Amino acid sequence: MISKLPRKGIDRIRWLLVVSVSGLLLAMLLPAVAQEASEDLPYIPTVLITGANRGLGLEFTRQYVDRGWRVIATARRPDAADDLNALAEKHPGLVIIEQLDVQDFDVIDALSEKYADTPIDILLNNAGINGGARNQMFRKLQYEAFDEVLLTNTIAPLKMSEAFYENVLASQQKKIVTVSSSEGSIGGATQPRLYFYRSSKAAVNMLMVNLALQLKRKGISVGMVNPGPTDTDFMAGLPKSMLRSPTDAVADMIRNIDGLNLETSGTFWQYDGTIIPW
Amino acid sequence: MTKPHDDNEQSHVDRREFMAAAAGMAAAVLAAHETNAAGHASTPANFAPEDRVARPVSAGSRILITGANRGLGFEFARQYAELDTRIIATCRTPDKATALQELAADNPGIVIEKLDVTDLENIDELATKYAGEPIDVLLNNAGIGGGAENQIFGKLNYPVFFEVMSVNVVGPIKMCEAFRKNVEASNLKKMITVSSSQGSIAEVMMPMLYWYRSSKAAVNMQMVNLALQMRRRKVIVGLVTPGATATDFIPEPFRSRIPSIRQPEVAAADMMRNIDRFTLENSGSYFNYDDTVLPW
Ligand SMILES: NC(=O)c1ccc[n+]([C@@H]2O[C@H](COP(=O)([O-])OP(=O)(O)OC[C@H]3O[C@@H](n4cnc5c(N)ncnc54)[C@H](OP(=O)(O)O)[C@@H]3O)[C@@H](O)[C@H]2O)c1
Ligand SMILES: NC(=O)c1ccc[n+]([C@@H]2O[C@H](COP(=O)([O-])OP(=O)(O)OC[C@H]3O[C@@H](n4cnc5c(N)ncnc54)[C@H](OP(=O)(O)O)[C@@H]3O)[C@@H](O)[C@H]2O)c1
Repeated sequence: MISKLPRKGIDRIRWLLVVSVSGLLLAMLLPAVAQEASEDLPYIPTVLITGANRGLGLEFTRQYVDRGWRVIATARRPDAADDLNALAEKHPGLVIIEQLDVQDFDVIDALSEKYADTPIDILLNNAGINGGARNQMFRKLQYEAFDEVLLTNTIAPLKMSEAFYENVLASQQKKIVTVSSSEGSIGGATQPRLYFYRSSKAAVNMLMVNLALQLKRKGISVGMVNPGPTDTDFMAGLPKSMLRSPTDAVADMIRNIDGLNLETSGTFWQYDGTIIPW
Repeated sequence: MTKPHDDNEQSHVDRREFMAAAAGMAAAVLAAHETNAAGHASTPANFAPEDRVARPVSAGSRILITGANRGLGFEFARQYAELDTRIIATCRTPDKATALQELAADNPGIVIEKLDVTDLENIDELATKYAGEPIDVLLNNAGIGGGAENQIFGKLNYPVFFEVMSVNVVGPIKMCEAFRKNVEASNLKKMITVSSSQGSIAEVMMPMLYWYRSSKAAVNMQMVNLALQMRRRKVIVGLVTPGATATDFIPEPFRSRIPSIRQPEVAAADMMRNIDRFTLENSGSYFNYDDTVLPW
């Protein structure tokens, strides 16, 4: 490489230009790396959020960026994510939007490659679907819906953890968090409903408890949070008076995430800080 | 078995059930806080005295077993046959099930049927064949472990997850859907699934078997829902576990590393005793082989 360096004057200028421009591009593309390199600046923690375009994911983005965090905000269709784009415009450099459908494992791998070397303090698995109540009625169970629900709610969080494990390991806070649901509490079931959604959340709880034990030695803590019934599209149709505001739900979950450490790793938190039984 | 007014009743029930689900969701929203804080919230259902009486399998009871050709399924067939029950012993490849064929040759109460529990049409066809015939115990035994090597963090084999889910979770709940009327029409009215203590989230001590464990936690959730659902139809739903048992399920070198490993005869007998313990009142319980109740 060295021997191929251009020697003539004009070439040298062109070379310098190339170097500085690519350096600039690099700095823009990898702000985390650039930031880390200059030691005077304080450490800016990074959170990666799935399903950041609406509902709880959007509110998570808003609240983390308000705290001065950097958010890698992922969404299936960034061009349609108006609210998220507006947020990114308001906080240039702090809200970084990436395209990600969590069902697409190749895209997950590509994204993790793109961010190799970027520490991620919190991997926040938020994206989730309920699968539609009508698909989950005993005697008329629509099993295709089950696959969808399992892929999004159960397997994607683990795949994300596998893909971004190195990034979390390289960070300061080292946390992997999944938004589960009290509907995933087997002991808490009192009425039959949402067969697929419920078992997808029970199953992801099981995966995350295993992961918590697996990663403890590495200093990574793993937790599950529950927003409580919250006014997002997820609960469309239910009277608003029964639902919590996304602002409160997310503030509560962030408080629980703040409390997550190696000792509490593997815990499933209700929004009020109590522990939800399996 | 099909009644003339069945379709009508079906859509009526669906609508009612959907409304109930929506209302239940709303109620849950209101009660979410208390329910979760209380830990286990059991429905204060009113049980008639007979709902508390355990009715055991006995001569003449009809039992449908999945995966009856080897391992615990075969042992269930063998020991239930000794009780003079009538058994529908299902397996994927009857032609190759020589031990089961021999057992059936000695026991006229055993009928062998071909059934792959991941083939949902196959399940429906078999249910059609048996329409109108009561089945006392539907015994979902077939299950796969998925191979420990496919479930190691860092090299997780994701397609295997879906295979495990389809045998261990979809299979059992689909069987319950398809044979619901047969069980409802029987004396004992039991839908039993062989789960595993590996499905207990509370008891996880070491990270392993990600797929298998989550499949059993998921099937536990489904069966708890089903227990609540079938209560008013007096159908009993139960989960049993064999404990670590020396079948093909635990191959060497793992088998010799488990000093407490049990023999299939003992494990099946323990589960049969627990199946007999189920009543409408304790429907939805997770009975370990040693008669204790496992935590979720
Ligand atoms: N709201 C509640 O009451 C409640 C209660 C308990 C638990 N939760 C859990 O909270 C989480 C967030 O729910 P929410 O209330 O914010 O729901 P929501 O308003 O319906 O938003 C769901 C988010 O997930 C995204 N998503 C769905 N499938 C995806 C995929 N394959 N790839 C990437 N993103 C995907 C959606 O993206 P698109 O816009 O592209 O669809 C959307 O951003 C879920 O895990 C849910 O189970 C919610
Ligand atoms: N052994 C243990 O230590 C242990 C512990 C806890 C729980 N369990 C549970 O006990 C149950 C029985 O296990 P086992 O020890 O008897 O295992 P096994 O010896 O490996 O036998 C498994 C049985 O399931 C059948 N099967 C697999 N996939 C099937 C499918 N798609 N359709 C129909 N049948 C299928 C097999 O049929 P083929 O011969 O055609 O493959 C075989 O008959 C399983 O649910 C397992 O999870 C076992």
